Order: sequence, then C-alpha cells, then structure tokens
Amino acid sequence: MTAAAAAAVPRRRRGPIDWGAPATYFVALVCVALSATPVLFVILNGFRSTAQMAYDPGGWPSPWILDNYIEVLQNEDFWIQLLNSAVAALGTTLGVVVLGVMAAFVIARYAFRGRDFLFSLFTAGLLFPLSVAVVPLYVMLKGMGLYGNVTALILPQIAFALPQTIIILVPFLRSIPAELEDAATIDGAGRFGFFWRVVLPLSGPGLVTVGVLAFVASWNAYLLPLLLMGDPTHGTLPLGVQAFSTAYSQDTAKVLAFTSIAMLPALLFFTIAQRRIVGGLTGAVKG
Amino acid sequence: MTSSAIATGSAVSAGPVRVPGKRRDWRGGLMLWGFAAPALAVFIAFVLVPVALAAVYSFFNWNGLGPLVRFIGVDNYVRALTDPKFLEAIGHNLLIVVLSLAIQGPIAVGVALLLNRRIRFRGLIRTLVFVPYVLSEVIAALAFKLLLQPDGPLDGWLSALGIHGDKPLWLADQGLVMWTLFFVLSWKYLGFAILLMLAGLQAIPEELYEAAALDGASWWQIQRSITIPLLMPTVRIWAFLSMIGSLQLFDMVWVLTGGGPVTATTTMATYMVQYGFQRNQLGFGSAVAVILFVVSLVFALLYQRFVLRRDLAGAITRGA
Amino acid sequence: MNRTRMLAALAAPAAAALALAGCSSGGSSGGGDTAAPVTITWWHNGNADPLKSLWQDVADEFMAAHPNVTVKVEAYQNEDLQRTLIPNALRSGGGVDLFQAWGGGELKDQVAAGYVMDITDQVQDEVEAIGPTVSGWQLDGRTYGLPFDYSIEGFWYNKDLFAQAGINGTPKTLDELNADIQKLKDAGITPIALGAGDKWPAGHYWYNFVLKDCSVDTLKAAQSSFDFSDDCFVQAGEDLQAFIATNPFNDGYLSTSAQQGAGSSAGLVATGKAAMELMGAWDPGVMGGILKDAAAQADATPPSFLGWFNFPGIPGSKGDPTAALGGGDGFACAAWAPPECVDLLKYIDSPDVQKRLGESGAGLPVLPEAASSITDPNMQQVLDGLHSAGYVQLWLDTTYGPTVGGAMNDGIVALFGGNATPEDIVKGMQDAAATL
Repeated sequence: MTAAAAAAVPRRRRGPIDWGAPATYFVALVCVALSATPVLFVILNGFRSTAQMAYDPGGWPSPWILDNYIEVLQNEDFWIQLLNSAVAALGTTLGVVVLGVMAAFVIARYAFRGRDFLFSLFTAGLLFPLSVAVVPLYVMLKGMGLYGNVTALILPQIAFALPQTIIILVPFLRSIPAELEDAATIDGAGRFGFFWRVVLPLSGPGLVTVGVLAFVASWNAYLLPLLLMGDPTHGTLPLGVQAFSTAYSQDTAKVLAFTSIAMLPALLFFTIAQRRIVGGLTGAVKG
Repeated sequence: MTSSAIATGSAVSAGPVRVPGKRRDWRGGLMLWGFAAPALAVFIAFVLVPVALAAVYSFFNWNGLGPLVRFIGVDNYVRALTDPKFLEAIGHNLLIVVLSLAIQGPIAVGVALLLNRRIRFRGLIRTLVFVPYVLSEVIAALAFKLLLQPDGPLDGWLSALGIHGDKPLWLADQGLVMWTLFFVLSWKYLGFAILLMLAGLQAIPEELYEAAALDGASWWQIQRSITIPLLMPTVRIWAFLSMIGSLQLFDMVWVLTGGGPVTATTTMATYMVQYGFQRNQLGFGSAVAVILFVVSLVFALLYQRFVLRRDLAGAITRGA
Repeated sequence: MNRTRMLAALAAPAAAALALAGCSSGGSSGGGDTAAPVTITWWHNGNADPLKSLWQDVADEFMAAHPNVTVKVEAYQNEDLQRTLIPNALRSGGGVDLFQAWGGGELKDQVAAGYVMDITDQVQDEVEAIGPTVSGWQLDGRTYGLPFDYSIEGFWYNKDLFAQAGINGTPKTLDELNADIQKLKDAGITPIALGAGDKWPAGHYWYNFVLKDCSVDTLKAAQSSFDFSDDCFVQAGEDLQAFIATNPFNDGYLSTSAQQGAGSSAGLVATGKAAMELMGAWDPGVMGGILKDAAAQADATPPSFLGWFNFPGIPGSKGDPTAALGGGDGFACAAWAPPECVDLLKYIDSPDVQKRLGESGAGLPVLPEAASSITDPNMQQVLDGLHSAGYVQLWLDTTYGPTVGGAMNDGIVALFGGNATPEDIVKGMQDAAATL
C-alpha cells in the first residue's frame, strides 16, 4: 500500500504519468472545449463568407474562403496597428514589471512608516473606473504633449496596471523565506544585493504572471488609445478592429477574420511566457 | 483613508520583516522609499490626480463643455441614491459578486489542481484554457452575440444534440439574460483565476509533497491537507480581485447587452455611462463613479479586515 | 470624373502660384497664396467609401486651390466621434478645427460653452441657397454650422405586397394607414417591420406622432425652451398606444435589430417578409447591403419594389399633416480655427461638391440646386417630400439634446414594453430638463 501510494504520488521532476489521469483528462477536455469553442467560432468563420454565416450559422466553412484573411494581411494599416500595439504592450509590460516589483518588494518585506498607507493607496487605484478619470486625464496628457504617438500610451497604462500588479506580487514576495535574506546578509550583500540576486530570480513565476496580465490588458485597451493616438487607422489593433468593423459593418465574416488575427500575438506571448510560470521554487529552501 | 482603517497592516506585517536598524535608519529608509518612488510617482500623476479632479466634478452640474460654474453640493449624490434604477444596478453587481465567488472559485481551484499534475499536453491545455482571457472584451462580446442570437449557432448545435423545440431567448429574455451574462463572464475570467492558482501552486515547496508521500498519503489527502491550505493566500487574493472586478463590471455588459433588455443587466458602471456621460451630465456621472468607488472601498476594507487578516505566513516562511 | 476635375483644379492655381512666385512675396501683402502656412484638422464620420474618398478628394482639391493650407483629414467611427473625441477635443481647446456637427441641442451646448465659431456673416449666401434645413444649425438667428446632407423619414413599402393586399395608392391619413394595415393582415402579410431591439426605431414612432399631433408653434417652443406642457405630447403617446394595440408589427419586434442581417427590420422588408417600415433615407442602401452580404446576392441592389410615403397626417389634430421629420449631417468650425476653415466649409457646400455627394450615393445634398444629381427614384420621392413639407423638424432626440433626449427615448421604450404611460414620457422629459 505504502509503496504503491509512494509510486503514485506525482513527482514534479520526473516520474510516470499518474493513475488519476482519465478523470483529469476528461475535465481538461471539457475545459478546453468550453474555452476554445467560441474562439474557434471566430477563427473559422473568418474562412466563410457572411452569406454562409446567414445560411448556416453553426456550420463549417464550405467552401473554405481565404480571401478575408488575405485581405487583412495585405492591408498595410493592419501592420502599422500591429506594430503600435506591440510597442505599447511591450513598453507597458516592461514598465509595470520593473516598477511593480520594486514597490512590491519593499511593501512586502520591510516595515517602515507609511508602508500600510502606501499599499492602501495602490489598492485604491483599483476601485475607480477608468472612464471617469479619462476626462481630466486627457486634458492633462495633451497639456504634457503626450499625444499622437504610441509612447503617449505607455506611462498612463503603466500607472493603471500598477495596483493589480502590486496586489499580486506582494504575497509572492512575502513568501520568500526570511532565512534567505539572513544568508544573503551574511554573505555581504545588502538589501539591494538580496533583491537583485535572490528575490528577482525566485519571483519568476509571479513576474511572468503580472507581465502577462499587463501585456494582455495593454493589447486589448481601447479607450486610452482612442483618445491619445489620433487617426484610428494608425492606432492600435483594437482601434483598427473597430474602424474596420464599422467600415465593413455588413460583412461580419471579414470582421471576424480581422479580429482573429488581432488576437494572435497576445496568445503567442502567453504561450511563450507560460512555460516560465511552470518553473518553481526548486531547491531554494533546501539546506 | 488612514492606514489603520485599512487593516492591511496585519496582513502585510505578518510576513518576514526587517525593521531597519538604528544606524542604517536614514539610508535604509531612503532605499525603501527610493524603490517605491518611481511606481508612486507614475501612479499619483496618472491615476490619483485625474481621479481627484473627477471627484471634484461630482459637486457641480456640468455638461462637460465650458467652465465648472454650477456648484450644487451633494444634489448629484442624492439623485443617484434615490433612483430605483441605480439601486437595481447595485443589486445586479452584488449578485455577480456572490455568483463569481461561489461558482468560479471552486471550479478554478479544482481545475488548477488537476492541471498541475503531470499530464500530457499540459502546456497546451493551459494555453487553451487561458485563451478567453486574452481575447478583448469587445471581441468576446461580439462572438457571443453571434453565437447566442435566436436560431443562431448555439441553438443549431443544441438541436443537433437532440434538444428540439423552441430555444430560450438567451439575450432577450429578461429573466434569463443575467444568467447568460454570468456564463459569458465566467467563460472569460475563469482562465485568469486558473492562471493565478497555478502560479500559486508553483510556490509550494516540493519537500512538503515528498514528506507527505513518504508518510503514505494519497493524492487527495495531499491536496486536502497541504496543497489547498497553502493555496489559500492566492485564493484570497483572487477573491479580492474578483470582487472588485464584479463591482466595476462594464465592458462586457455594455457590448453584450447594453444594460438591457430594458434594465435587466445594468451595473453601476453602465448606469454611470448611460445616465451620466451619454446624457452629457458629467457631474452626475462623476458622482456615480464616486459612489462606485466608495462601495468598492467598503468591500475592500471589510475584506481586508476580516479575511486577509487571517493570512498566516508563518507556516512556510518561519523555518521548517 | 473626380480625377479630371481635380487635375483641372490643380492646373489653374498651380499656374497662378508659379506666376506669383516670380513676384516678391515677402511681408504681409494681403491674403491669398502668399499667406502664412495654415493647418486645418478635419474630423468626420465617413470612415467607409464612398464618403471617405469624397472627403479626401475635397480636401485635396482645397489644398490645391490654397497652397498655404494643409488639411489633415481624419475619419472616425460615428459614436466614438460624437461622444468621446469631439467633446474631449473641444474641452481641451484644440486638436480639431472643422468637425462633424449634427445640429440641435448638442450644438447648442457647444455654442453656449464658446467652442464654436459664429459664421453668420460669412455664409449668408449659402444659408439662403440651402433653405429651411439650415435651421437645425442656427441659434437665435446666428449660424454656427452648415449641413451638407439632410433627409426626411417616411414609410418604405413593398409595392408588390401592397398590390397583393388590394391597396391602391398610399395612405394620407392615419385612418387610411390603419385600414391598409388591416388589409395586409387579411392577406396574411406582416404589415410593419420594427427593429425595437435597437430602441431608436421605436422612438421615431413617437416623434412622428408628436409631429403630426402638435402645432408648429408648440414644436418650436419645445425646441427653444423645453416647454412640453401642451397636452398634444400626451395625446401623441395615447395615439401611439392605440396604434400598437392594433398589432401591426412583426413577431418578436422588441428584440429585432434595425439593420443587422436578414432578421433585422430592414432585412425583413428587403426579403419580402414584411410590407413596410418607418425609416430614413438610408434604408434602401442598408437593404441592398443586407441582400448582398446576408442573402449572398453579390450584385444585389436595393429592392426594385420599394416605394415611399411620408408619415400620414392625423385628422382633427393641431399638427401640420405635411410636416416632415428628418435629420442630417453638417460641419462646424471651432472657435479657434483659422478663417480658412470657413472657406473649406463653404467649399463642401458648393454646388459642385454637393452634386458629387448626390451622385456618389453617399447622401442627399441639402442644396436644392444639387437635387438633380439624385437619379434614384426612391430618393427623388424623399427629396420631393422634403421640399413640399410645410415644416421640417430635426430628429427630436437630436433637437432636445442628450439629456432630455435620452430620457425621452427611455420613456418611449418603456411605453412599448408596457411599463409606462404617455404621461410618464412627458414627465421624464420635464424632469430631465429640470436638471439642466
């Protein structure tokens, strides 16, 4: 019994696939089916024509039509929008992760006067809807000259993503054992050394998590780019989708093709990043 | 908002703390504030200042154009709080808060536990489960509007599965639409919850599993006595974000139902946009936003005082 | 045709500019081609062709005629433009010079806040040429913008189905309309398609009843001072309730959309499943688009069986039976715009550009002189109705502005859903007006 149980326990680093697999696979299948079906619907209907969609709403493409996707890929506005979205998202993600981890580090691990107030302040930022802050924000940003190009987006987006980032990172950083800091101090590294050499590497999964969330939020943002970027055909992808869908309002299939391609990069980013989440606190606490 | 009123103090200070020693006090303090300063500066400039300005608008009758001249004190607040439509919207928000916590939470934990096991295609499954979150709200709402239209794809598939007869009007039936909305919301945000849980699972040291295995525990026993308890801090953080998100709910509802049919799916935020901004009454809209803020704040305070306070960090971090 | 004109337009001023360049042009010598460089930012909602190309051509031609002027044209989605972008730009005191203006209460607010240029003195000729439709863009006798497109709404009906039901001609009074509806029902045809799911189509029924129940003076008083005390407003609601009670609409009309796909009200009429719908002049175009995409007829045009008649008069009411309800698009110059902005606006409303607007099918030109460019018989009927109307009223929700208009639309939707009385609609509007 013991041996069997021991052999059956999942070992992270190596070992056989566990015996609970069928139930797990079933649940996984259901989850994947539910998650993926609407998305597949969007993608597949890009390969149909709007007429096909009206005739048989839930059916497969027949025949498969490539024109919609080809037209999107040949549209030079699309590539400009893609580039703008990428620049904005990467800039925002970088800024959010760097600023967020620094602030979360000191909030999580050190008691200093005003620490609680600081954390509450960031938390409060989550509680106010963006659309209300937009009116004064716009006037302010125009006054600062932040208008008309994609870099105007980055700073405000970082600011709005910080609360969620800090809230998620604080418990992560707090769970790094105190002994590690003692060890670092003994080795002669100061607080900064501890941060740089121990905390950052260990907080990988947390950093990737908040990075992905910030990237996705920036990729899908609509209101700020609308206000700050001017001509929507040279804005970010969500603006492009909206402009495209109203220009081709009756051609649903074409719009779906555009939106399918628009969501691919964010998906790609997540696929690459999610492997990093898998790596965990291995060996850190041993010894 | 005073620091003591928000009991994050208890939750946050329960962690490993290094109180700066007297000798290093000023330099240590400088380093600490220095680390937080960039985030703080950006946050104050682009979030707090506009928010404060918007709060000022709430005391005026302002159509958004021209200067702020018609001071009316708290009239906007009185108007909102005595409007049955606004109270109805609050009710909808609260319903979604409760449903999200009760239904999405357990499902997310369960799925995360399963996906944490060493099964084939684990990476692919994780990616696919997260896909709904990656989709923008607008696209998701558009896709579901197409899927749920009368005699649309969903109705077609149900018929193909053998369920015949008149299908319910998913988006037009006032009694059903809230549930449809909740389903779409769950579809979109469950991936987020699962992702958070998975990240939290990664933080649990392997030694605990190995020790339990040596003691002869089964998979379920391990989950019950080790994994789930150690996952609770993450669950509590997720619950907090979920609650706040439910109170602030806007984008998905607006595109999917517009708050309708009639007022069946209004939320505080759709009310704010419909009766505030779309009617060119920015003072009133700002007042509703402040009310929304206060409601969220009350939830946050209560939550942090009663729930996060119990967050024990000692088990893992205070040594073996 | 556009290209040739553009080249011709280019040739003359180009030659003139070359000639002038030969002379010394330093210092402040009068206006014209040697003036300082000026930029005009132009925002409009025509983000699809043919309107998009038309405006771009207009901008290019204007730039060619005024070499010192650069026109930056930007097309935006309609709601974004009206609700978000224009208000924000106006608030911030810059960013746009020539912007889309829908007239009515919205323009009134913008003028009151000092954001709009008073162009009365510069456009006197144009105002005279355009006629009564300009009134939507005027306040207290001063002009703040010019419309370029204006059309009225009425019933678009299927002539074949009418003939099938034994209806001769078109109804001129409400009683005749009700009789025709009965004939259609007897013939097993759905009389009226209504896209109440989108709310505004339902609203237009109430507007039309108000238009035909209330005297012109009452309507004008309501427009200028939000005076809804006349009982004709309640009467309109009661007439509408009686009308709804005769069951003239398609099944499930409360959730039918107006324009999306073959199941929308436009689609129902286009595919012959309903006999008529109350809509603006854009309807044939919408129907053509639906037939093309949703019903897979690649070369579909608006159905040939379409006819048009104005909303019938109500005998015994105080209203003018020939009154017409309509709306349009126009442009206005911001208070800080350069004077060349007005020149551009005048060029947009020039007979030549107006004719091209009509020919491209992008809209119905306001200039009666350009009416000849409209060859579509349906549109000609609409234009005739417009020109023979005793009184032209801008859409009520545009006229009363978003605050009162929004309350009005909510009340009307509630009436349709059986949740409100005719008095409730008026009360809602008066309460909203009190908050202004």
